[in-house]
Amino acid sequence: MPKLVVKNLRKVFGTFEAVKDVNFHVEEEETLCLLGPSGCGKTTTLRIIAGLEVPTSGEVFLDGVLVNDVPPQKRQIGLVFQDYAIFPHLSVFENIAYGLRVRKIPEAQMRKKVNDTAALIEVENILDVPGKKLGLSEMQRVAIGRSIVLDPKLLLLDEPLSNIDAKARERMRAELGKLQKEIGIATVYVTHDQLEAMTLADRIAVMRDGLIEQMGTTSEIYDNPRNLFVANFIGSPSMNLMDCEPVYSEGRVVLKSGDFSLDITEFAETIKSKSKGKELVLGIRPEDVSLDVDKTDPKAMEAEVQLVEPIGAKSIYHLKISGPAILSKDRAMPEVNVGNKVWATFNKNKLHVFDKKTEEAIL
Amino acid sequence: MARKKGVTKTIVRYLLLIVISIWTLAPVTWMVSLSFKGPTEWYAPNLIPIRPIIDNYISLFIPTSPIGGSYFFTSITEPITKPLINSLIAAGLGTLFAVLVGFLAAYGVSRYRAGGTFVIFFTLLTRMLPGATFVAPLMVFYSSIRFIDTYAGLIMLYTAVTLTYAIWLMKGFLDEIPPEWEEAALLEGASPWTVLRKITIPLTKGGLAASALFIFILNWSEFLFALVISVTQVTTLPVQISKYVSAVGRMYGTEASLGLIATIPSVTLGYLIQKHLVTGFTFGRIR
Repeated sequence: MPKLVVKNLRKVFGTFEAVKDVNFHVEEEETLCLLGPSGCGKTTTLRIIAGLEVPTSGEVFLDGVLVNDVPPQKRQIGLVFQDYAIFPHLSVFENIAYGLRVRKIPEAQMRKKVNDTAALIEVENILDVPGKKLGLSEMQRVAIGRSIVLDPKLLLLDEPLSNIDAKARERMRAELGKLQKEIGIATVYVTHDQLEAMTLADRIAVMRDGLIEQMGTTSEIYDNPRNLFVANFIGSPSMNLMDCEPVYSEGRVVLKSGDFSLDITEFAETIKSKSKGKELVLGIRPEDVSLDVDKTDPKAMEAEVQLVEPIGAKSIYHLKISGPAILSKDRAMPEVNVGNKVWATFNKNKLHVFDKKTEEAIL
Repeated sequence: MARKKGVTKTIVRYLLLIVISIWTLAPVTWMVSLSFKGPTEWYAPNLIPIRPIIDNYISLFIPTSPIGGSYFFTSITEPITKPLINSLIAAGLGTLFAVLVGFLAAYGVSRYRAGGTFVIFFTLLTRMLPGATFVAPLMVFYSSIRFIDTYAGLIMLYTAVTLTYAIWLMKGFLDEIPPEWEEAALLEGASPWTVLRKITIPLTKGGLAASALFIFILNWSEFLFALVISVTQVTTLPVQISKYVSAVGRMYGTEASLGLIATIPSVTLGYLIQKHLVTGFTFGRIR
């Protein structure tokens, strides 16, 4: 039985429909990530699960029980807020102990639980520090400790890393991942950062405008984006997308965009049967565009280098291939400079084709 | 250059502080001086009394005692202990109720948008008319429910009049507290009342203290309503001060001595909650 089931969730604020029709479930010990740009309804969904917002319609089941009418204080759900919401007037110990004190757990038992949790989140030596004096990383850990000390059925995290600068975020993301493995509770994680989603989630639900666009494992979503939005949102640098038209001649099919053309005869049938209009969007991830200084592949296209961004072992090349601007992520080649001519090859197995009108994936 | 700028800034700051101090302390100084002067010096411009006496203070407690050798005949027969107690009761309880009711109202408005925008605006409307407009209808209403010259009448009125300030001040302080803290406590299993008691109130206590002091001072110095409602039983200090008139004129020294005594409670309260006032008046940025 899934730990959490969300069915046909809808939430309207005045005239604004924040959540339109959201359905998903989370299994025992699984982490589901709600990923999407701000305003897509992910935080609202989370707050409905926690009981802090009342849904306009739809149902939330926890352990198979409908909890729509259960107030937040009785749901046994842990929530880590974006700003952590550490009580500033209480010490770390009291912050963690808060829920246990509310439940009137006997003193000795309470102390043991708090100390065990403090050891898990590694805050044993700052137990007396007041909440308002904590650093961000400490706050994050205390917030998690406070939510797990009560053995919740479900842990919710609302963009817990968004207020932290890039360098610290990397470390805290790793810490969070490690902690998550140790705790092993069903988790719903809300973020707009795809990297966080990919590293921390078992499954990702990509959201836009109050709807889930696609749900699946990281690789499912990365390799087979269902539509243009998901294709564009996931991946860094993002997927190359160019408007083009199919041209049929002498039994061959070529995708054309200005002077640029790509032979896709092998996929002709699929494209013909699935596309509704003539306008298509060709998509290819930068790492699927390989570069060579010499023309080794007969199908390679001539490209002009406009910018090189070295990122260590690999580089990101900004190219112009007879018209469209294309990004390529390939091995660092010190001999390639701005203005040089190079030869680019598209990995045909990794091509994506979308219908421009419906935005749905065709290939 | 930077240092010079810093020096100029410091000088300007101190000059400003000196001006403000003079502006606040000059009347108080004059009041202290006046309270130790005899009738012959009441109109004199000297700051230090030539012949300092404490007769003004004695006459507050023994109304028939002479001041600087001369006897003044007034309508006052009782010592100031009763008006002092009356003021403490009326201003104190009025403040307590206004803060209690105001806090709950402010909480509802701040957290649940209770009453929409109309109710909160309506409370302001009641303060847009001068108090004097209410006096006549109030007298009629109060006499019909026998509230004239009673503590209940005075306390109820003070609560009602200062409630607007209580709501608006405390709403400001509550708006400063992010609701996440309360939500976090809710999810920890605390009931809404526990959240209010253990999280919200401790976090807003600076603001609560500042609001309470502000309202107390308003009530403590209120004159008009106290004058019309009190007859003999609930005379408050401001009304009492106005009664020191003798056949030969106002008794400035006695008024000054009572005025000085009247400032003691507010100053003491302010001193006691000084720490909270700083956070309160700077609109406590605790985050």
